[in-house]
Amino acid sequence: MNGHPHHASSPRPCRLTEFKQVLLEALAVALIGGIIALAANAISPRGLNIARNYFPGSAHGVVTPPPLSPIAGLRQKGLQWIDGSKATLLFKDPRYAQQRVAFIDARNDEEYRHEHIPGAYPFDPYYPTKFLATILPLCQGAEEIVLYCNGGDCEDSQFAALTLRDAGIENKKLFVYVGGITDWTNRGYATEIGERNSGNIVPGVP
Amino acid sequence: MNPSLLLPRGRIADTATVLARFLIGAVFVYMGLSKALQPVEFLKMVRQYDAVQSPFLLNTIAAGLPWFEVLCGALLLAGIAVRGSALILICMLVPFTWMVLHRALSLHVDIPFCAIKFDCGCGVGEVPICRKLLENAALILMSVWLLAGRGRKLCLRYSLWQRPKRDV
Repeated sequence: MNGHPHHASSPRPCRLTEFKQVLLEALAVALIGGIIALAANAISPRGLNIARNYFPGSAHGVVTPPPLSPIAGLRQKGLQWIDGSKATLLFKDPRYAQQRVAFIDARNDEEYRHEHIPGAYPFDPYYPTKFLATILPLCQGAEEIVLYCNGGDCEDSQFAALTLRDAGIENKKLFVYVGGITDWTNRGYATEIGERNSGNIVPGVP
Repeated sequence: MNPSLLLPRGRIADTATVLARFLIGAVFVYMGLSKALQPVEFLKMVRQYDAVQSPFLLNTIAAGLPWFEVLCGALLLAGIAVRGSALILICMLVPFTWMVLHRALSLHVDIPFCAIKFDCGCGVGEVPICRKLLENAALILMSVWLLAGRGRKLCLRYSLWQRPKRDV
């Protein structure tokens, strides 16, 4: 009776208990919420693979912030790059029709369907397993492979090239088109809408 | 003091608290879902802050945080574990707001601070940073208000530890 710590006339212990209760409640929410959140990610079709390094190419396997320029990133990763003129030459090369030259679009499905370089294959490097069954035989048979994304500071074409290099494709065949689809359309070249070889070609505006 | 004069003020405070709870809950559900449905975009945003170097930790944050926000928002909307959820939101909002401010200051070289715009990874795309900081400050203040224990109306279970009868 006389030593009860939570007596109504002594507000301090009550506040402390209340504070502890709130703290415990927050911890419970954090713990249960964390488990539910990771389970939701595992169930989601767009969920991330927690064990994977989505940004390969940096030293010691750590994640580094985006490089100051795309060229700096390419140099750091030991990748080759080409500009729009070289990409145009390869696009017009007769080997392109024979799939000895390949164009690979390293953007997501939505962006690919919106517009892509005619005949380019989709390959989202963040969800590679969906595409590798098609992309790997293509790359093994090709002599030159052009990878592109949106241009500017977009690095997805670099990550796609690294994913292919890790899968055994020779580095000397891989060329990152730095300007990407932005440079392609700015040059006034045609693009394709929808699936690959959909025939839905949008003429460029020179 | 006339109790009849206090009653409307108490009701106004209760109503304001319920509205604040609904607002914070809705904001977090919306922003969490917009990130959870585009996890790769959010992953890239988190990377830009250069706050973590471990791929495992970065992926865990990008994969779990959006769904965690949705859950905290849903708890506030339903009125479950309100003070605990509010405390967690404060713990998320304060460091995140500091990181946004830090990044904005690093860009504040040639242009006025309030002209700075970037996608902060908040789930709403590119925003003027002044506006974002004010929004976050308002969310933090409202969360502190909830943490203080104001307003228990329309709650399914205000506290996890109290018996439901006491909440009535």
